[in-house]
Amino acid sequence: MTALKKTLPIVLFALAYAVIAMLVTNSYYQLMLTLVLVWAIFGLSWNVLSGYTGLVSFGHAAFFGIGAYTTVLGQIHFGLTPWITIPIAAVLGGIAGLMVGFPTFRLRGHYFALAMLAYPLALLYVFEWLGYQELTIPMRRDAPLAFMQFEDPRAYTMIALAMLIGTVLITRMIEQSRFGRALLAIKQNEAAAEAAGIDTLRWKLRAITVSGAIAGMVGAFYTVVLLVVTPPSVFGMLVSAQALTVTMFGGIGTVWGPVIGAVILIPISEILHAELGAKIPGIQGVIFGLAIVAVILLAPEGLYWRLRDAWRGRKRDSSPVPPADVLADGEPRGTQDGFASSEPGLRPAPQDERAGSGRDVSRETILSVQGISKTFGGLKAVQNVSFDVKKGEILGIIGPNGAGKTTLFNLLNGFLAPDEGKVMLDGRDMIGKRPHALCAAGVGRTFQVMRPFLRMSVEENVLTGAFVHAATDAEALRRAKEAVATVGLADVADRLGGELTTKQLRLMELARALAGQPRILLLDETLAGLGHGEVGDVLAVIRKLAATGITIMIIEHTMGAMVQLVDRFVVLDHGMVLVEGEPHSVTKDPRVIEAYLGKKWSTHADA
Amino acid sequence: MANLDITRRGLMGSAAATLAMPSIARAQNPAEVKVALLVPVSGLYSRFGQVMKMGGEMAIEHINAAGGVKALGGAKMTMLTLDCGDTTEKAKNAAQRMVAQEPDIVAASGSYLSSFTLAVTEVTERAQIPVLTLSYSDLITGRGFKYVFQTSATAASQAEQALPEIMRLAESVTGKRPQTVAIITDNTGASVASVKPMKEGLLQKLGLKLVVDETFTPPIADATPLVQKVRAARPDLLFFLPTVISDAKLILEKMNEFGLGQGRVPTISFGIAIAMPDILNTVSKDLLQGVLSCVGNWGTKGQEPLIAELKQKYNEPWMDQNAISTYGDMWIIKEALEKAGKADKVAVADALRNLDLGPAKYFPGGQMKFDDKGRRVGAGLTVIQWQNGTPVTVFPDDLALSKPFWPKKA
Repeated sequence: MTALKKTLPIVLFALAYAVIAMLVTNSYYQLMLTLVLVWAIFGLSWNVLSGYTGLVSFGHAAFFGIGAYTTVLGQIHFGLTPWITIPIAAVLGGIAGLMVGFPTFRLRGHYFALAMLAYPLALLYVFEWLGYQELTIPMRRDAPLAFMQFEDPRAYTMIALAMLIGTVLITRMIEQSRFGRALLAIKQNEAAAEAAGIDTLRWKLRAITVSGAIAGMVGAFYTVVLLVVTPPSVFGMLVSAQALTVTMFGGIGTVWGPVIGAVILIPISEILHAELGAKIPGIQGVIFGLAIVAVILLAPEGLYWRLRDAWRGRKRDSSPVPPADVLADGEPRGTQDGFASSEPGLRPAPQDERAGSGRDVSRETILSVQGISKTFGGLKAVQNVSFDVKKGEILGIIGPNGAGKTTLFNLLNGFLAPDEGKVMLDGRDMIGKRPHALCAAGVGRTFQVMRPFLRMSVEENVLTGAFVHAATDAEALRRAKEAVATVGLADVADRLGGELTTKQLRLMELARALAGQPRILLLDETLAGLGHGEVGDVLAVIRKLAATGITIMIIEHTMGAMVQLVDRFVVLDHGMVLVEGEPHSVTKDPRVIEAYLGKKWSTHADA
Repeated sequence: MANLDITRRGLMGSAAATLAMPSIARAQNPAEVKVALLVPVSGLYSRFGQVMKMGGEMAIEHINAAGGVKALGGAKMTMLTLDCGDTTEKAKNAAQRMVAQEPDIVAASGSYLSSFTLAVTEVTERAQIPVLTLSYSDLITGRGFKYVFQTSATAASQAEQALPEIMRLAESVTGKRPQTVAIITDNTGASVASVKPMKEGLLQKLGLKLVVDETFTPPIADATPLVQKVRAARPDLLFFLPTVISDAKLILEKMNEFGLGQGRVPTISFGIAIAMPDILNTVSKDLLQGVLSCVGNWGTKGQEPLIAELKQKYNEPWMDQNAISTYGDMWIIKEALEKAGKADKVAVADALRNLDLGPAKYFPGGQMKFDDKGRRVGAGLTVIQWQNGTPVTVFPDDLALSKPFWPKKA
């Protein structure tokens, strides 16, 4: 039902465009109609990689140009028709994508963008060196149809439209499958995506391959339309920029973005050029540039998202959503978390509230940490830490700020490799495994700093974590729904991530980790930022999870809450294990109190 | 500011023409005949396009002042400028716009850069609009097209014609034939096209040994390594082919610094980049003194009044290839209209194919006649030389405004 609903606008758009194209007889306008589609497809190609993964590519002209030269050289040297060379160009573009992606995905952020910039520039010089400064597609008056040299320019628009629809459908398929969710997860937080069991390198390589193939195809077609190929016209900086411009203007990370961008920008640029270019030379560039700056300022993520947000906002005017940072009970936050409520030894938990009661903690060790160390330069973040985690227990990791708690988690789930030591999961050494592999082996985690996918619904957020063990998309969806229900978010499952309260976000993160069906769950400060009543709710959920047999390791500052929850503490200080033991003994341990509060308090506690 | 006024006047003229056209388009003898100038007037290449526009406007004024197209009852010619911008895509769009929206255009001239001309003529060929061009690329008239006419000698032919002249000049002044040559070229299309025939036999034929062969990508940051190679090799000649003014400046200055400048190594360029007025803004005229360049066309003897008019009207210090060739193009179109006897693009193209006006006027060497490829028969070239801050034509002798001098070792 939603598939139909989502395909319908595309069909309507294509029909309308086709009707307009058939009615336009002016060959110049017809050329514009073709070029709009060309740049829309190129924008979509860029979007598949950069829009969904957030890895900005300044180098898509590389694939575009390879496609362009495939067509023109194919016809000059081998007499091949574009009908054959366009598909070949797509294959070559895909291969080029793979070859570019493999080394370049080692880089992130700006470094990735800059590295991508180099490929088309290098190719530009290679093709100039090869002597391909100016090439034209030979005119074939004898067989115009066989060589895509139509008398009627509408034919080009129709071919471009078919290519656009194909590209939109491919993009849609990606968007709605685990492929797209993986890419979006990478965009939000690559580390979190890895932790959620996503093999980020593999998905990124797939994305750049698809993206390169589309760019190669449209570059080849562009040549058929333009008939002349020069290295700057297909490998030039402006070509790569064109993909960015139409997509960023129209909307990043949606099929509609590049289409909207191209439909608006290409004709405006050309009209400005035609009307003003010969009169006040250069003014067209100024106006065009200012227009783009204005739109980017007013709608930073592109027109589509701006319009969609405005539309959603109007629809929901009657039920305003509380911002995430206002607590439900209206209490100001600061007093509830951190030290104020976590003085050790002052609030021993009543025995009957303890999680350990009524739950069987096995004697079997699920995770064994053996002498691991990690140094960052001169800083010994974790030193020779060893402890065992029993199956089904709730283990609290506590310690003052900078004690090495989060580093320890990063070592356990594969973000960091220890300098020495072992991490045994079910007796197997897990050192050197990548996070997604550890996730697949049953280690799930949440993060201290929450990384919700703001534009996805709760259910979609959770779904990104559900693909690890799910054979099919349907199974993943079922697991996601279960996880949402388990943490008690079923009634807000359709809300967007950006509309949730802090508590709901924490629970959603929990559900996302849960959806991957972990056997051991690492929770990094899951209670941070929660109000008094809310802490209880989240604790209840964690207990529920523990009751189902999931082993839980939790980092927390809020000592008061922790003593109610955990079976055992491991206290870290300066990267070393300070104390290990039952809550009531640990909280009274003078070494622990000293580590938290200083010597003065530890003597107090003794007294 | 004078520039803008003229632009505006031209505009109003063409606007008036557009308004007037529909009612009289079908008349036997139209009051106006419309031609187009498809050149870059914005972006990177705008300087060249604007000079072409000056040449075209001057020609139109002169033609109309002399009574317009007589075969059409004295119809006045008007010129519509369409901006090719800075990419082949924009050039093609401009041509397509002309074809779609200006059905009265009978002929066109354009488009400076070979790749723009290639893109434009792909459109005009299909629309059967004749286009005259000063671009050098062999490919332009090598595609079997029927509606494109090349007034310049092609790049390959220019090198072949120019090099023997350079050798002769050197020999006549110094008394000995140059033996060795260095080539420093950028990798743009026109430069590569000029160098290619040299390396493929031309140098050998002339007995020149290539001792330095360097290709760079503009813009260069430091000319030292290039110039060091020249100094080490001490060639008798240096062929220097920059396209970007900053590259020309860097290399000329570095040569001077290394004691190779001002003629110690005679420097010969190809193309007009080294002779654009703008170069004087950054390079001193002493550094340029004596530098030779081989170009498709230039202001020559017999064109002194034109050169003076251009200077006075547009404040252009000299008449370069773009101005004079475009000026000449308009006259060729005018003659073709006279011969065709009607304002019809196909008839004009036909007339151009069969045109024979004898020895070329406004173009160096050869005939005012096109062969079956569309190349001007016997098209020659001009050699220009920087003399006291002005590039002047020094070859061929009958067109020379000044005597060439061979830079002597000081």
